[in-house]
Amino acid sequence: MSTLLSAEGITKSFGATQVLSGIALSVAPGEPVGLFGPNGSGKTTLVNILSGLLLPDAGTVRFDGKEITRLPLDARYRLGIARTFQIPHPYPALSVREAVRVALAADAGKRKEGGGTREDEEGPTEDLLARTGLFNQRFVPCAQLSQGCLRRLEFARALACRPRLLILDEIFSALSAADEGDLMALLRAANRDEGTAFLLVSHNPPLLKSLCRRILVLKEGRIVRERPVG
Amino acid sequence: MRSAAPFSGGWPAAGIGLLLLFPLSSPDAFFLDVFTTGFLLAAFAASWDVVGGVSGQITLGHALPFGAAAYACALLTSFAGWPLPLAVAAAVLLAAAVGAGIGAISAPLDGPFVALLTLALGEIAHEAAVGNTFFSGPGGYAWGGEGGIPVTLPWRDASPFSSYYAALAFLCLGSFGMLRFSRSGAGLILRAVAGSPITAQASGVPIARFKRLAFTVGAAFAGAAGAGFVLHVGRATANDLSLELSFQAATFAAVGGRGTIVGPVVAALVLHLLFQGLSLPPSARVLLYALTLLVTLRFFPGGVVGTARDLASRLGGKEGARPPRRRGRKRPGEGTP
Repeated sequence: MSTLLSAEGITKSFGATQVLSGIALSVAPGEPVGLFGPNGSGKTTLVNILSGLLLPDAGTVRFDGKEITRLPLDARYRLGIARTFQIPHPYPALSVREAVRVALAADAGKRKEGGGTREDEEGPTEDLLARTGLFNQRFVPCAQLSQGCLRRLEFARALACRPRLLILDEIFSALSAADEGDLMALLRAANRDEGTAFLLVSHNPPLLKSLCRRILVLKEGRIVRERPVG
Repeated sequence: MRSAAPFSGGWPAAGIGLLLLFPLSSPDAFFLDVFTTGFLLAAFAASWDVVGGVSGQITLGHALPFGAAAYACALLTSFAGWPLPLAVAAAVLLAAAVGAGIGAISAPLDGPFVALLTLALGEIAHEAAVGNTFFSGPGGYAWGGEGGIPVTLPWRDASPFSSYYAALAFLCLGSFGMLRFSRSGAGLILRAVAGSPITAQASGVPIARFKRLAFTVGAAFAGAAGAGFVLHVGRATANDLSLELSFQAATFAAVGGRGTIVGPVVAALVLHLLFQGLSLPPSARVLLYALTLLVTLRFFPGGVVGTARDLASRLGGKEGARPPRRRGRKRPGEGTP
């Protein structure tokens, strides 16, 4: 099986506290992978390293065979690795539609030096808003969105680059059943229809089992178990 | 942030119309001069807003590109003998380059550190301008230092009317350009960077590049205002690089409404005309600017435009967003929460 994302020997410490020790993992193209672990096990630190928000102390990250260990978050997004945040950080002054337009500007070489977004992104913007159930909220300021809509917006932002890999940090936490169901359907559709692989971080084993083909268990900074979902 | 509802439609046209008619009332040359300076300061305040408002990079060294362009204009016309249009163009380019440099240095920094860095850079330039004198060769009289450097103009004693209309035209064109930029795709991305840099970066935005862009564009307009200012007063002085000037621009933007471009222009015009027109001493003006800033930050944090928008949206029952445009068939997401 070919590898889309691989990490080898990822180690990270904050001061005297070792958070990750020699993590190795891989995700195949189109593969839905879960990452489970108790609080403080290092899940978010690992996600931050895989998405380019943090540099590891040691180890390498490869995407599609290319080393990307030192590539920043924005460059990884343009490469096709999109991530969501456990706690969304919405743009206070932008509407939902504008927030999606910002993300779409990174897609398909549309960004040019100082160029920003283009008018012909309006169709894709509205399609993405419709797909994520945000069409009716498109003119609402992001700061006024409910938690469920913020998660949908995170998802829309992540999908805007037509990602090959989604890294989803606790995107299903603190959601209503309806929002959770909608987001699960969206994630399944992205995986099934577009072959988008994902690494889903969650505290919820049943949810991981229903969405993922393989689950990695992280404990005290090490992957202690890896089991296929039968 | 989308539309300046309180200042949209006919309001700007009415304001410009009044300003166009004002000289016809045969005002005193002093008032024409106050207005002319006010127009240039208003353009400068709007250029601060491109950097500090739209892109959220609070700069306290915005006088640096303004003064750099003023000094470049004076030096190039007086020392090098360049034709004025060429000197002005070079001065604006120099200001843009200064802005790009400041943007490059400050790009890795955030919030108060950007303010401190730009404050330090501005003060270095100011002290350098105060402390250095140039000599004009055979004539032997000193240039630079406290006395500044004169600009050589191809005309003698420009009429206050032509200065007034030229400055007004510059303010209108400059503000229009800055408003267009702030509402362009690049402006949208800058507002995203200002609002949440981490989300912008996670959306593929190379934030350092866009911060540099904001500083470059803002500095270019500040440089144009600086060139206009030196043409109006006839001399580049260290005051053109002073912290007081940067602080004034930031005050105008805070009072008018950060990120709106129009708000800082209106605030600069009103406050400058009020405080300067009353012929208050400089120390009293500084105190009044500071008090105005304090009152605004305490009671109207959105500035005049932000407060007016809030009021308009409360009265209108909407959050001020554009009404939805129908585009084709009903979309699958419509009707869902």
